[in-house]
Amino acid sequence: MDRRNSRRDAEGTSVITANRLLDGRIVWLAADGQWATLIEDAKLYPNSAVEEALKACNARAQEEALVGIYGVQVTQTASGPLPVTSRERIRAAGPSVHPDFTPDWHAPHPAPYA
Amino acid sequence: MSHSPSAALPVGHYAYDDVDRTFLKQRVAQFKDQVERRLSGALTEEEFKPLRLMNGLYLQLHAYMLRVAIPYGVLDAKQMRVLAHIARTYDRDYGHFTTRQNIQFNWIRLEDTPEILNVLADTDMHAIQTSGNCIRNVTADQFAGAAADEVLDPRVYAEILRQWSTLHPEFTFLPRKFKIAISGSQQDRVAARFHDIGLIAREGENGRPVFEVFVGGGLGRTPIIGVRLRDDLPEEDLIAYLEAVLRVYNAHGRRDNIYKARIKILVQALGTEEFLNQVNAEFAAMDRARYRLPEATVEAIRARFGAPDFAPVGNAAEKLAAQRKADRAFDAWVHTNTHPHKQPGYCSVTVSCKPAGGIPGDVTSAQMDLLADLAERYSFGELRITHLQNVVLGHLRQDALYDVWQALEKNGLGEANVGFITDIVACPGLDYCALANARSIPIAQKLSSRFANADLQREIGPLRLNISGCINACGHHHAGHIGILGVDKRGEEAFQITLGGSAGDGDASIGQILGSAMSEDETVDAIARIIDTYLSRRTAGERFIETCRRLGTAPFKDAAYATA
Amino acid sequence: MPLLENGQIIQDTWQIAVEGDSLPTGNVLVPLARLSEGLGRNTDARLGVVLTSADEVETLRDALPRLDVVSLTFPIFRDGRPFTQARALREHLHFKGEIRAGGHVLPDQYEFLLRCGVTAIDLPEGSDPAVWQRAHEAFTVAYQPSILNEQAEGFALRRRLT
Repeated sequence: MDRRNSRRDAEGTSVITANRLLDGRIVWLAADGQWATLIEDAKLYPNSAVEEALKACNARAQEEALVGIYGVQVTQTASGPLPVTSRERIRAAGPSVHPDFTPDWHAPHPAPYA
Repeated sequence: MSHSPSAALPVGHYAYDDVDRTFLKQRVAQFKDQVERRLSGALTEEEFKPLRLMNGLYLQLHAYMLRVAIPYGVLDAKQMRVLAHIARTYDRDYGHFTTRQNIQFNWIRLEDTPEILNVLADTDMHAIQTSGNCIRNVTADQFAGAAADEVLDPRVYAEILRQWSTLHPEFTFLPRKFKIAISGSQQDRVAARFHDIGLIAREGENGRPVFEVFVGGGLGRTPIIGVRLRDDLPEEDLIAYLEAVLRVYNAHGRRDNIYKARIKILVQALGTEEFLNQVNAEFAAMDRARYRLPEATVEAIRARFGAPDFAPVGNAAEKLAAQRKADRAFDAWVHTNTHPHKQPGYCSVTVSCKPAGGIPGDVTSAQMDLLADLAERYSFGELRITHLQNVVLGHLRQDALYDVWQALEKNGLGEANVGFITDIVACPGLDYCALANARSIPIAQKLSSRFANADLQREIGPLRLNISGCINACGHHHAGHIGILGVDKRGEEAFQITLGGSAGDGDASIGQILGSAMSEDETVDAIARIIDTYLSRRTAGERFIETCRRLGTAPFKDAAYATA
Repeated sequence: MPLLENGQIIQDTWQIAVEGDSLPTGNVLVPLARLSEGLGRNTDARLGVVLTSADEVETLRDALPRLDVVSLTFPIFRDGRPFTQARALREHLHFKGEIRAGGHVLPDQYEFLLRCGVTAIDLPEGSDPAVWQRAHEAFTVAYQPSILNEQAEGFALRRRLT
């Protein structure tokens, strides 16, 4: 895994993220244990508790069909958790060069698999 | 004024037969099985990853990315329409042409991929070996088979190498990826010296081709210009010799450090002479008869390529001259975006995929359909993707140019900027790529807008600007006259400028880093000052790269870091 | 461990030399470092050698006529050196005995191994031979010559796989 993914301060707050195996989409671990597509729904962990939470998530990765589970340090803002790095801000918001491609984007026409 | 090919064979690329089609379907079935084994847990992610990569499937930031092979950059109108269909149906209505003449789709789902590969296979396309530590898509000159300065058409050999390298039993788990480029012109338009193997073909004494062989070039973390191993490799030994090079690499390339695993590091570590000795020893020891490439095989492959059936052009040149006189904008486009053709009355057109303020190399499905229509109507159904992320219509009658230009203009593809500062090469960068440190596209868009003025671009003249979002250098920044490299400064994006790189024409050089990294806006301003410095210091007729070489980097560095 | 040979799972009768112990009687596989010890055994039992992926097959040149098995090792499936080792054993050294591949090997690599000259696979316990057989039957054509000297398929370099 990318070493940047485990770069966290000793102090601070993080959320847990992954990509879904089937469609590759980014998800965030929510308080109810489900994986949400919006970072706003992510559960906040103190950095000291992240490693243990990741261990538990990784143990279920195959059955929950997830890949690349890791923690992302955030600051808390009025609109929800905001990652501290540009990389994770782009993951959370979608590519900056296509403002319409937010995480809740839906195809204008139903795709054949829908 | 439409052409119809004289035979059913596609112009410019190899025509599949039933054997090839059966193979593609078997490859799709194999991948489907691999996906099922991944989902069941029979394959771990670690095991599955190299297998999906060998079918062009990456897991990027937001989704899977599928890289579809466009062998030697050539595809036909029917295939382009299938790419448009994939963009519309399985992606978000666009695709991205890459610096390796392929196309990438950014929003693919793993579960759709076997079906997508099936759709591709139906028109003789695939994603085989567009990634992974194997022999990748073989790239070739975008003006192959058309250029006035061409000695021989390299695409037949690119096809032979494509076939030979497909699921090669020995070379599919190499220390690292392996890229081959081939040119049939002494004007090296493929950057042969920046490839793991670069081949430049020319006519030999017996009328059969011979190859100049360069090995161990590359960009990335350690940019190196390839060394010449052979000057006159005979055609019949082409496969045998490449086998020998690959065997030495597979046996001895480093596997302990991904950043030192390319063949260029092995060549440097052993020294050219020792590397050459090992290749020659292997070449001498191997069963040469088994790997011989007979003339008959070359001709059998050549016979599967369609050739354009050029019609008499009448007064095409005069008509073009009159149209250029009447329309200044058209004249400017013809000046920058056409290339001399070996057939009188014809030319090749480079369609710029770099509109002012746009995303370099991105095309919508509607634009793909238009390009397919134009190719079918005017250029024998043939299209080429260039390693500079543009599209070439290879064989246009000169009196068709005006119609073609107008259609392109109407659809955002008429930019008259080929070879100019806004003809920017850029990787997808941190907006999409899991490896990137910084975004490449926004800075490309800002620079493209900044220099959008046509007169200004013309005044600046030929200039290659390349942007990579990380040290892997997919944007070939080291080979740009001006290069921009995105770096990560404690989680924030920053950019380094390199100066004086060049990819080909016999004068390959690696750009030098000017100094410490700056923010995006500072970098755009710094490049504007570098251009001002060039404009004020150049001698009459001197191109940017020439001024760089004459003056060295110092005055440009002063300009770049001058505070306003 | 089960051994996959010609599509059949057979029980491996060879023993592997244990580090620190003297060589057993019977057919034995020894590491390269103990080759001369193996060759020095006074017995009719057969001898094989286990190579790491970093070993040079050229070092076996003199011993090869007295070896029945060369066993190649994948430390991880991505380490592709055993492919070149197998091909060199067949093509350069004209080895006619059994070449095994063991370690971390995937069924997806089976056909490549066969075409490089490997004849048997050391499977992990519990492997499903059907998956390997399916991998072997996945393709009916290859695009380059191999040491198996398959029949040409149509024109060019294509070969018919059986």
